[in-house]
Amino acid sequence: MSRLLIVLLSVMLSITAAHADHHIPNLGEKANEFKDDGKKAHKREGMSHAASLIMQRKMHPELLSHKRDKTLRQGVRGGYTQLQKCVDCHTSVDKNGEHIPVNAPDQFCSTCHEKVGVSLDCFSCHRTTPAEDM
Amino acid sequence: MKELNRREFIKNTTVATASVATVASGISLTTFAADPKESDPVTNEKRWGMLIDANKLSEVDIDDMVNACQEEQGWGGEVHSTGDQKSGWIKKVKVRDTATQRVSNLALMCQHCEEPPCVDVCPTNASMKREDGIVLVDKHRCIGCRYCMMACPYDARSFVHEDLTDQKEHMPRGKGTVESCTMCVHKVDKGEQPACAQAVSSDAVIFGDLLDPTSNIHQTLKNVQSTQIRADLNLNTGVRYSGI
Repeated sequence: MSRLLIVLLSVMLSITAAHADHHIPNLGEKANEFKDDGKKAHKREGMSHAASLIMQRKMHPELLSHKRDKTLRQGVRGGYTQLQKCVDCHTSVDKNGEHIPVNAPDQFCSTCHEKVGVSLDCFSCHRTTPAEDM
Repeated sequence: MKELNRREFIKNTTVATASVATVASGISLTTFAADPKESDPVTNEKRWGMLIDANKLSEVDIDDMVNACQEEQGWGGEVHSTGDQKSGWIKKVKVRDTATQRVSNLALMCQHCEEPPCVDVCPTNASMKREDGIVLVDKHRCIGCRYCMMACPYDARSFVHEDLTDQKEHMPRGKGTVESCTMCVHKVDKGEQPACAQAVSSDAVIFGDLLDPTSNIHQTLKNVQSTQIRADLNLNTGVRYSGI
């Protein structure tokens, strides 16, 4: 009986561990469509797709803050790195067809940021949903 | 090896420095000669400015300008702010001559000074002037101390007192930061006119490059008597007024 209990407990533990490890972030509506179409997002020249994704995951704060200074202070607009482009693809839509803020619980940004305990301050000023005319 | 005396050494060094400078200026000349692209930084070859003719500008025009600014930049919808706390990027100002009782109406906003006092006092470099003369607040750096609001002679800046949502995509605004007229920098960078200038159908508001001799604003300023508000402060404002 006790052996059965140990087996049961270990199975439960491994399920919990597996669940925690495969925490898939909510990619958002457009990003999911993009992925389902088999297209590769964030592909950078001279890098494999996997390496590009890892770079995006690790470096997105640096990429964004570098670009924000250039845009605001030097007027360099356009280009690949724009916060509004992140928001456009990575927001989800609720049952009523309304966009859910990208920093709301269980949405794209907050999934990882909550897990690693890093607060994000972009959206105290920046818009959290795609613009109305999108 | 020939030994150099002091005089010869200085002569040779000067020649070498001069040739480097020539090459360097040649390079920069070719860079500036190319057409400016969206990805190029703005330069001080332009200075954006505005000329407001108080004689041609009716009160309705000023209201239109304020409404266009609110719609473009998304301010004015603050629910919890009261009185002076409310944002005012552009204001209607009435000036009455005490002797003649003549009333002029002005649209007053950030004057985009060449020597902005708000930039001088900012402890974090959040208040800044772009190379092309547009004065902005870098909200990434703004700590909300409001020194700039004290320093501005035109009362052009506002402080956001409440949490905001649904900001305009091009105009992030948030609680605890200072904001003011950006001369619609997002539109200007695309080659468009600021929203307030577009809202007035007559030529009461002219926007353009003050340094470009072919621009409408440059030529008008050359021919028409105009003034800067508080010109005694020597701030050399980018926004000029005629008819006051």
